[in-house]
Amino acid sequence: MNPLHLLAQAPATNFWAEPNGSTSLWVKIVVGLIFGIGLIFALMAAPPQVRRPIVAGVTFLAGLFYVLFYLWPVPIDQKDGELPRNAVEGVGFWLKDALGVVVNFTNILTGFMIGLGIYSLLRIHLRRFFKFQKDWGFSLTLLLSMLAMIFFGYADWLSRLGERGALLDERSNWTLVNYGRDFLFEGLLQQMDAAMFSIIAFFILSAAYRAFRIRSVEATILLATALIVMLSLMGAVQYAIDTPIKQAAGPNGFLLNFQLSEISQWIRNTFQTSSLRGIAFGVGIGALAMGLRLWLSLERTGGNG
Amino acid sequence: MNYDFLRLTVGVLATVGLYSVLYRENKFYRFFEHIFLGLASGWTLVALWTESLKSNWWDKMVGTAAEGTNAAANGNWAYILLLPIGLMGYFVFSKKHNWMSRIPIGIILGLWSGQQIQVWWNTYGPQINASMKPIFPTTFSSFTVPATPEAGAVYPSQAITNFLFVLTVLSVLSYFLFSFDVKNRAIRNTSILGRYLLMIGFGAIFGSTVMMRFTLLIDRMYFIWIEWFQTWILRR
Amino acid sequence: MSVAQPAKRPLGERLQSLPKFWIYSILLVLTTIPLFVTVSVPNEPQEPAIDLYASLMQLPEGGRVLIASDWTGSTRGESGGEFDAIIRILMRKKIKFAIYSTADPQAPLVARDSIARLNDERRKAGLAPYERFTDWVSVGYFPNSEGATNGIANDIRSVFGGRKDFPPGRPPTDIFQSPVLQGVRSVSDFPMLIVITASKTSNFTVERVYGKTPLAFAVTGVMGPETQVFYQSKQIVGFAGGLKGVYDLETMMEHGINNPGPDGKIVVPSSKYGQIPGFPGMPNKGKGTLYYPTLHVALALLILTVIIGNVGMFLSKRANQR
Repeated sequence: MNPLHLLAQAPATNFWAEPNGSTSLWVKIVVGLIFGIGLIFALMAAPPQVRRPIVAGVTFLAGLFYVLFYLWPVPIDQKDGELPRNAVEGVGFWLKDALGVVVNFTNILTGFMIGLGIYSLLRIHLRRFFKFQKDWGFSLTLLLSMLAMIFFGYADWLSRLGERGALLDERSNWTLVNYGRDFLFEGLLQQMDAAMFSIIAFFILSAAYRAFRIRSVEATILLATALIVMLSLMGAVQYAIDTPIKQAAGPNGFLLNFQLSEISQWIRNTFQTSSLRGIAFGVGIGALAMGLRLWLSLERTGGNG
Repeated sequence: MNYDFLRLTVGVLATVGLYSVLYRENKFYRFFEHIFLGLASGWTLVALWTESLKSNWWDKMVGTAAEGTNAAANGNWAYILLLPIGLMGYFVFSKKHNWMSRIPIGIILGLWSGQQIQVWWNTYGPQINASMKPIFPTTFSSFTVPATPEAGAVYPSQAITNFLFVLTVLSVLSYFLFSFDVKNRAIRNTSILGRYLLMIGFGAIFGSTVMMRFTLLIDRMYFIWIEWFQTWILRR
Repeated sequence: MSVAQPAKRPLGERLQSLPKFWIYSILLVLTTIPLFVTVSVPNEPQEPAIDLYASLMQLPEGGRVLIASDWTGSTRGESGGEFDAIIRILMRKKIKFAIYSTADPQAPLVARDSIARLNDERRKAGLAPYERFTDWVSVGYFPNSEGATNGIANDIRSVFGGRKDFPPGRPPTDIFQSPVLQGVRSVSDFPMLIVITASKTSNFTVERVYGKTPLAFAVTGVMGPETQVFYQSKQIVGFAGGLKGVYDLETMMEHGINNPGPDGKIVVPSSKYGQIPGFPGMPNKGKGTLYYPTLHVALALLILTVIIGNVGMFLSKRANQR
């Protein structure tokens, strides 16, 4: 059993990889699952003083992969079948080969963690429904909508798995499950998504009306810039202001610098970009420091450990 | 009944239902709000599996048989270990064992923080370079840039613009970096200037944000009044 | 006994406290009426959008690009319009594309449904639709955006490995067998990576992919100022920001750059480029053309309400000083 073969540079069949459908593969999967569940129970029994070192160690090892990836010489334009010449190159080759697997692990773990939000939603609404608490009817609505989407979503996906899958890109070949998915996704979900986000337009207008007051120098500068930006976004206004200036100035005239398009572009390129860049630099320095603190587990958060 | 008309009508009803919250919170709004949440979370579960986990995790774990022009692929059983690690995240709901949820989070955060070195340089290296602009003019043949400028020349108007650019970057940066009390008047005044110049950036963001939010609203109005009402009710 | 009439509030105070119901109603009406009126608004595309269009038009015909589609129905007006414009340009130049998403699980299906709609448009115009797997592939969704983008930058074959798409008449097939991705060994094999997004995935892409292949962005209005920072430092070749960006692209699709129209006038001049054609006579109008006039009315309303509020404030201050 070569541990390096776990992530990279592995022959086709080895301790970690078995042919599809083989008994040995399924035995190893079951054993692996039992081991994983055993690990959970072992961690549940872990004394409090080892908890923080475990989390810190896992975080450090995870971060170390990318730190090594960037600092260790890795092969550029690696050819198929090319082998490392020494231990340093060997580690570099391993890092390069392991990157795709590490990215895959990250995506899989994140995928499992996304389920947290849905699990939380289900906990609340299932409890409300089964105990007939206040607004249980709305919880039932939510659960039924979720089930409907899961059913039609999966059924639509399954219907596309066969050889006729590509034909379903044309509506004339649709069946009930395809219509169901389209109705729920395009007909309802996308429209409601758009509606939810568009409600903010009303609040922005109301907030701008009530709160946008020229009470200080800062507020005046903010308002003036916002006004110039909004006017520059209005092509008709820009045309109305720029056309007489263009006609008065002629080609290459000095007056052309006073067109709304030129003024807004100058403000954008001179002040807007530079001030946002200053913010970005400040945020970037903070993010780098935070990254280092997280990697080395120097961040103290609340809770156990 | 025509499917497109039915689909559009239900979409319009849902939009109006959600907009009813602008008047006041009501059961009509809450009904559609819960439908929205249910559909969104249902689709998240579907897409997580069909678009990601099935090929990234399941097929890699159990392998795939030869099919069509796809060669057979071996299964890597170690992928099963990701399931218990991922499930540790769900211990966040446990009062006694919620520390275990930090293990998968620690892996993800660790991988993120390890990337920050290169991320920082990729993002800010070119920007630092682009901020180093010439602030002294090299020619006084014209104050502004003529129609056919000399190659490589920096005209006075350009030098002034560049100076304002560099001054803005440095003063805004000074505002962020020197957030503690400083006695030096030059730095204090630079930070104050930075605060004013920051407002220009915020004003631009506000103007662009307003455009975005209004566009979303206009899109909804177009959907209701043109795609549904004009096309299907007025039949034009 | 007479009832005392409540004192009339001063004008300044009344101007500052218009009821929310009226403001919302006026906004609803003013964003509806212009939609029924067809108005052509003159437009001067901004430099980043001109650079984006020029970069797209300079891609070799029959080539391929990588697209990150990270938008959903919530930003249909802006991101949907940008997506339609960019895909129309790519289809007309017969450029193949591979689409992946990292921001939202809904994004891959939203992109596929949009391409189906654009294919319907091509069929109606008598053009061959873009065939899935041959002309374009859907790579799928990657839940961890930073990690996936990092992987795409450094080892795209490994990150995309195992993903399947649907060729006609065949079962789901490895995407690297598709003509779109055949021979691709790294992200540098793509002449461009286009990110159409309503979130921070554009930032993640610059952070990790910069230097490996030219980047072009299509972002929402909110992200426009931030994206301008990347554009100014030449980390991206061009970008379209918000509804204005959509309208800029549609204008250039109609008129080209430095192209004299039938009246001899150049609608989109640029000193940076030579003559770059548009696609006159083809369906170029999209959400930009449809929504842009109404945006004027909405922005004018906002400016007016802010002015009213400030006038009310000044009147109140003056009244208090008396």
